[in-house]
Amino acid sequence: MSGPAKADPGPADGSRGAQAARWVDADGVHIDVRGLAAPAPLVAILALVATIRDATAVIVHHERDPKMLYPELAEIGWKAERIDAPPGEVRLKLTAVAAES
Amino acid sequence: MKLAAGAFLAGATSRLLPASIPFRYFGAAVAYHLLAWIALLPDAGASPRFTGGLGWRLAALHLVTLGVLVMSAMGASLQLLPIATRQPVRFKRAPAAIWWLYTPGVGAVALGMGTGAALLLVAGATAVAVALLAYAALIARNLLGAKGMPAVTAHCWVALASLLVTLVTALSLACTYLGAPLLERGTALALHVAFAPYGFMGMLVLGLSYILIPMFALSAGPDVRNALLSCAFAVAALLLAAAAALGVVPPLARSIAIALAGVAVALHLLLMRTALRTGMRRGLGRSFRLVRMAWALLVASLIVALGVALGAPMGGIATLFGLLVIVGWLLSFLLGILQRIVPFLGAMHAARGRKPAPTPSALTAARPLAVHFWCHVAALALLALAILTDGARLAVAAALVGATGAAAFGVFFAGVIRRMRRPPPPSQARVAQIA
Repeated sequence: MSGPAKADPGPADGSRGAQAARWVDADGVHIDVRGLAAPAPLVAILALVATIRDATAVIVHHERDPKMLYPELAEIGWKAERIDAPPGEVRLKLTAVAAES
Repeated sequence: MKLAAGAFLAGATSRLLPASIPFRYFGAAVAYHLLAWIALLPDAGASPRFTGGLGWRLAALHLVTLGVLVMSAMGASLQLLPIATRQPVRFKRAPAAIWWLYTPGVGAVALGMGTGAALLLVAGATAVAVALLAYAALIARNLLGAKGMPAVTAHCWVALASLLVTLVTALSLACTYLGAPLLERGTALALHVAFAPYGFMGMLVLGLSYILIPMFALSAGPDVRNALLSCAFAVAALLLAAAAALGVVPPLARSIAIALAGVAVALHLLLMRTALRTGMRRGLGRSFRLVRMAWALLVASLIVALGVALGAPMGGIATLFGLLVIVGWLLSFLLGILQRIVPFLGAMHAARGRKPAPTPSALTAARPLAVHFWCHVAALALLALAILTDGARLAVAAALVGATGAAAFGVFFAGVIRRMRRPPPPSQARVAQIA
């Protein structure tokens, strides 16, 4: 199942509200947290990760390097992998470490 | 480009200040925390009726306020605000330079107060003031470019404005001991007591809470309108308190200021309650028991402040107010937050050149924190009881128990540093191989 190819990133001042766009693509569940004010991106990503029960990857579309996310991911046994993205976007692939063992 | 968790964490740290910056502030705060309780010991017996004046009790008070509260707030804000505002620290060497000026300055202030050496006190106060002005300039520069987060930014601006009032009144009070005060002592004291804990530290704590509490509870950010409303009530309270201190309005205005502060706090705590209730992470542990206790004692401090303003006939009420606001609210809150933020930042920084990254929980030693928690609560209770009963022995016991707790907190902090440096345990090493 595929959703929109690209979600609306919204204004850059963090005024988009607390809603992160989500869709499913062949490479995993996508979440676009661009334009959200901290800590909404962190919360939205971890909330999505918490719902994953299998080896499905989470693809994060971010506007910056989410520094606060990494200790939280490590704590729940997930890892992050930076993947190619258009200029101005940080795109991450998150996977559960246990799912790969 | 594929990165394992640890290596990726290392990449993430590239835009952070070096670990040595926040950790030097936190380390100094941990050391001054222990020294504060030790400094209380020589005159602990007379502490229940302390209302000011040079001596080791005043030194202990400022080791807590300047040495622990402001020191850790500086370390945390220098590290976290750039991430929140998405603005880097402009002058990379400034945070370390500020620390080198501020830390010995605090020591000189405490030593000057304890020994009654006025010149040492003024020299230390000047160093502290210059360091804090440089810090204020650094933070202001960062806030000017902030994107979004209006509630956090507004609180930080009020905190910086309050810092200026705090510095002017502090220097005036220090100069009193040289016989050349800038302001009348009563006025300077009244302004200092309102603007240092509630204006500077308080607004910084309330503002940063809008980032930190949702971040730790994993909840949505608080309602911005209500957070700004809380800030507006706090500003009105501070302005009215200042007007009362300057004699511009009748003394009754102090009570109205406290009522306005009460509304600000009520709005803030409602937002915090919502964050905790809606957060994904429910088990926030001992650190948040300290935070919740701190919030309760913030409310208690305002009630006692009202008693002071109305001239309640109770011995030691001014000392009790000071205990509640400084130790009960601010110190409890910061120690609660520090025990979460230190391992969290440690995990971010420890990943540099190391695979895998240690988790925050792997860096945390639970036992020293348990000892610290009970000692902190016991010391606070003993001090309150000492004030209520004018009990000298209780105050001495409080200082001893408090020092034990502070030492335990030091063990926790040293443990984080040690664990940051040592190789990962086998379980994590296995994860590294998989990654």
